[in-house]
Amino acid sequence: MTGTPPPSAALAVGARGLAKRYGTRCAVDGLDLQIPTGAVAGFVGPNGAGKTTTMAMLLGLVEPTEGTGSVLGHPLDEPESYLRRVGALIETPAFYPALTGRQNLAVLAAVGSQDPRDIPGVLELVGLTERGDDRFRGYSLGMKQRLGIAGALLGDPDLLILDEPINGLDPSGIREMRGLIRRLADGRRTLLISSHALAELDQVCDWLVVIDRGALVYQGPAADFGAGSETSVVAVPERQDDLPRLRRLVLDAAAEQGIALADVRLAGPTLEERYLASTNGAPR
Amino acid sequence: MNATFHAELIKLRRPRVLAITVAISFLFAVGSALAVVLPAAAGPALERAGGATEAFSTGLGFTGILVFVLFIANFAAEFSQGTFRTLLMRQPRRLSLVAGKMAALLGFSAAALAVTLVLTGIASTLVAVTQGVSTGAWASTDGLADAVGDYARVSLSWSAWATLGMALAVVVRSAPIALGTGIAWSGPFEHLLQDAWAGAGDWLPGLLLESVNGEGGGARDVGVVVVYVALAAVAAAVTLRARDVTV
Repeated sequence: MTGTPPPSAALAVGARGLAKRYGTRCAVDGLDLQIPTGAVAGFVGPNGAGKTTTMAMLLGLVEPTEGTGSVLGHPLDEPESYLRRVGALIETPAFYPALTGRQNLAVLAAVGSQDPRDIPGVLELVGLTERGDDRFRGYSLGMKQRLGIAGALLGDPDLLILDEPINGLDPSGIREMRGLIRRLADGRRTLLISSHALAELDQVCDWLVVIDRGALVYQGPAADFGAGSETSVVAVPERQDDLPRLRRLVLDAAAEQGIALADVRLAGPTLEERYLASTNGAPR
Repeated sequence: MNATFHAELIKLRRPRVLAITVAISFLFAVGSALAVVLPAAAGPALERAGGATEAFSTGLGFTGILVFVLFIANFAAEFSQGTFRTLLMRQPRRLSLVAGKMAALLGFSAAALAVTLVLTGIASTLVAVTQGVSTGAWASTDGLADAVGDYARVSLSWSAWATLGMALAVVVRSAPIALGTGIAWSGPFEHLLQDAWAGAGDWLPGLLLESVNGEGGGARDVGVVVVYVALAAVAAAVTLRARDVTV
């Protein structure tokens, strides 16, 4: 299942028949990828679906067994021609434990021949300015993830690839990460974000690639995925006092129109929202 | 390679690393000077031209295996921590990445050795003066030539051990396995072989390096060591290029 493909010139990432096999095990199976430039693309699939392997192939870490592709207009087998314009966080953030966050970013900037004067800016963007001089080994998981994203942002990349950025984060960290991703999705750059938590991607992505067991299930606009299969209407009054009246109105209108309702109930805040309210939503 | 070299220097020139390095050099200098110069019997033998660096070459003769272990741990940690993957996403040329890091570490080692050489010379002179050992020949041209020779020999030995350690870490990619294999091979295994095979000292890398470091090695021994180092570097390069980076 595929949505309307964008013209190839407008693709930030394109691949045809991308495959990776380890002996008899097929991690990625003939994947055709089309990520439009400027999209915030969710890369969705269950654990072991091949998301990380696919991303690793795009980043030159893993050599495809078969297939061709391009990233930012350059061939996949020439990563040195495009990686300067790509920022990535793959699997868990990996930095030198004895170095501070700032020193780790300085190492990354030096390796990538990027301007170290960008470091304060990216630390501020991810909310680590005050902890930038602490050693990496003392960071919480959320801080490590944010430092990983800061590292990926060095050089102001055109394509940002984030592999499971919310993995292991608590609800506060997830909300903080969601906000950060929204700030990064400024229309200038393309984002490719993998996750097995569909609800998280649903809130930030406008393009979707769904894979299962290494094979493509869907790619296209996020809004088109599963379109026509809606199961409910959500109506939220501006004033909470109106809730009982709205409920009554819905019941009456449905009865008048001969619509049998399977369920009508008042819904409260989600568990996540209640948790965040009780902890003031402070990221740690 | 240049960029990676500078990136590695960011780690090496931290005040803490520099302070520890200088402290170790100082302690080594004082300790080796006391151990070599202090014994009363050492007096006449030390009055020759190379006496100033006798403590340096004697003391450092046993440190090759330490360098080997440090390089294994350093490079294997890049894989086990995942930092090699992080760096590759910035610099996909794998050989440049490792070569730049290696060059920075060897340069740092060479600088540390030079500091140690100077400190050991100073400490030896101070101890010699208190023991009535004549140091007149130490500052002669021959004395300086001896110092340069000692420095070159130890540098060569350290570089060889370092390259072998790096190669083992790159091929194995696991610090515990690489350390276990490396220490077992260069320590007990080679010495056991030496007991059973008379030619072991002429062909096995660890024994050859001991020989080179201990002033017993000639051009032939150095040549064989260079061949080992070249083979190890090629094995590391081939492995690096061929393997996927999945950790």
